[in-house]
Amino acid sequence: MTYHSTHHPSRELLGKFAEGSLSAGMSVVISAHVELCPQCRETTSALEAEATLNWLQNPVSDTAGSEPDFSHMIDAITSEPQSITPEADRFAVNEIHMLEGSVSLPRVLAKLASDGLVWKKMAGGINQASVMLDNETQCEFLYMKPGSQVPVHKHRGNEITLVLDGSFSDEMGRYRESDFVLRNASHQHQPMSDEGCLCFAVQDSPLMFTKGLARLLNPFLQYRFRRATSAQA
Amino acid sequence: MEGIAVGKSAFEKSSPAAIQTRDVGVKSATSGQSSERSDEDLLIAVGNNQDTASFNLLFQRFSKRIFAMGVKLTRNEQLAQDLVQEAMLTVWKKAPLYDLDRGSAQSWIFTLTRNRCFDMLRKIKRQPNTVNADDIWPQQEGELESNLVHEERGSMEVEIAQIESYYQELPDAQREVVEQIYIHDRTHEEAAAALNIPLGTLKSRLRLGLGKLRQMIGIEES
Ligand SMILES: [Zn+2]
Repeated sequence: MTYHSTHHPSRELLGKFAEGSLSAGMSVVISAHVELCPQCRETTSALEAEATLNWLQNPVSDTAGSEPDFSHMIDAITSEPQSITPEADRFAVNEIHMLEGSVSLPRVLAKLASDGLVWKKMAGGINQASVMLDNETQCEFLYMKPGSQVPVHKHRGNEITLVLDGSFSDEMGRYRESDFVLRNASHQHQPMSDEGCLCFAVQDSPLMFTKGLARLLNPFLQYRFRRATSAQA
Repeated sequence: MEGIAVGKSAFEKSSPAAIQTRDVGVKSATSGQSSERSDEDLLIAVGNNQDTASFNLLFQRFSKRIFAMGVKLTRNEQLAQDLVQEAMLTVWKKAPLYDLDRGSAQSWIFTLTRNRCFDMLRKIKRQPNTVNADDIWPQQEGELESNLVHEERGSMEVEIAQIESYYQELPDAQREVVEQIYIHDRTHEEAAAALNIPLGTLKSRLRLGLGKLRQMIGIEES
């Protein structure tokens, strides 16, 4: 990987990520960027150390009066066997096959994709595969085929787009592999991609329908991604 | 690995990493009680020797802090108590995988508590378990790669004569690990006990050491 990303999550966002206080959707997209970005990996380690110190320095006795005592748990715990060997890698999928070749995915996205992605065609040459992570975000893989253009749109909340392969550009710049692009409600933009682009996107505005119901109502044909891309050729 | 006796004096000898983290964190964590032994020493004893007395001390030092984190994040004392159980059970189970080269014992316990809490909250909110906290914050990079070290062992031993002249050039921490495994022919568990380092640290140092040797003798990473 020779390209170093120029768009990163803010330090504040990485701090919340290190604390574990973000939604699952946000945590996943930041985790994927951090895996691709040595700089943010270093920052995250430092912020985890900071969060640890805060944890150790916070006063422990909020619950005035009743000192909780948990020592009755100890015997049950120490009678459990220890793990000598790490758990094996539980998911086999670590890449998405596309017409041009395959794309390796960050670990957490590989896990997400291992359940099988259902792709649907959208306007403008975009394929979208939604994944369900929590009730606070909408998360999806997006594949923009070469020469595609997303219709002009606005966001109701924040939208993060992480580039996994290829590149796209909008009025504000060009984004390539591992770039973490944050757009908020004030941005109106029109992403386009000459060479094609695979992304993972997270929006923090709430869902209108549940995903399951949306799938039943989906008027588009559904494809496994491999077939969807062949059909596009 | 229970059979290996580790002298008390061996615990006094800490690696630079442990000394550094002790300066930063332990004093505030332990507030006086049993302050001679660092959290790292205790965790290593739990991991290498299944030492329940050391686990008891760790439990006393951390359980109330875990409870406090649980109350803050879940706002529910029953859930916070469940978190103490889950997190300290994970400390016990995963202690053999603790790795000194990847941070202090406090950070290690903090991150695993954060992860258990994240999963607990997702379960309560009935969010799909498509991913869990350990996928989002993987700590097992070294563990996964250490399997490779195991598989390479056969071929590396064949070339030991060739390697011997190079291995003197390794950094001390890596050389003594390579020495334990390949010269003294000890198991990973025996070597970790002999050097008084966590098994996870041993494995990652071994991996780094073997990687450097491989570079020196010109075997390409495949
Ligand atoms: Zn970054």
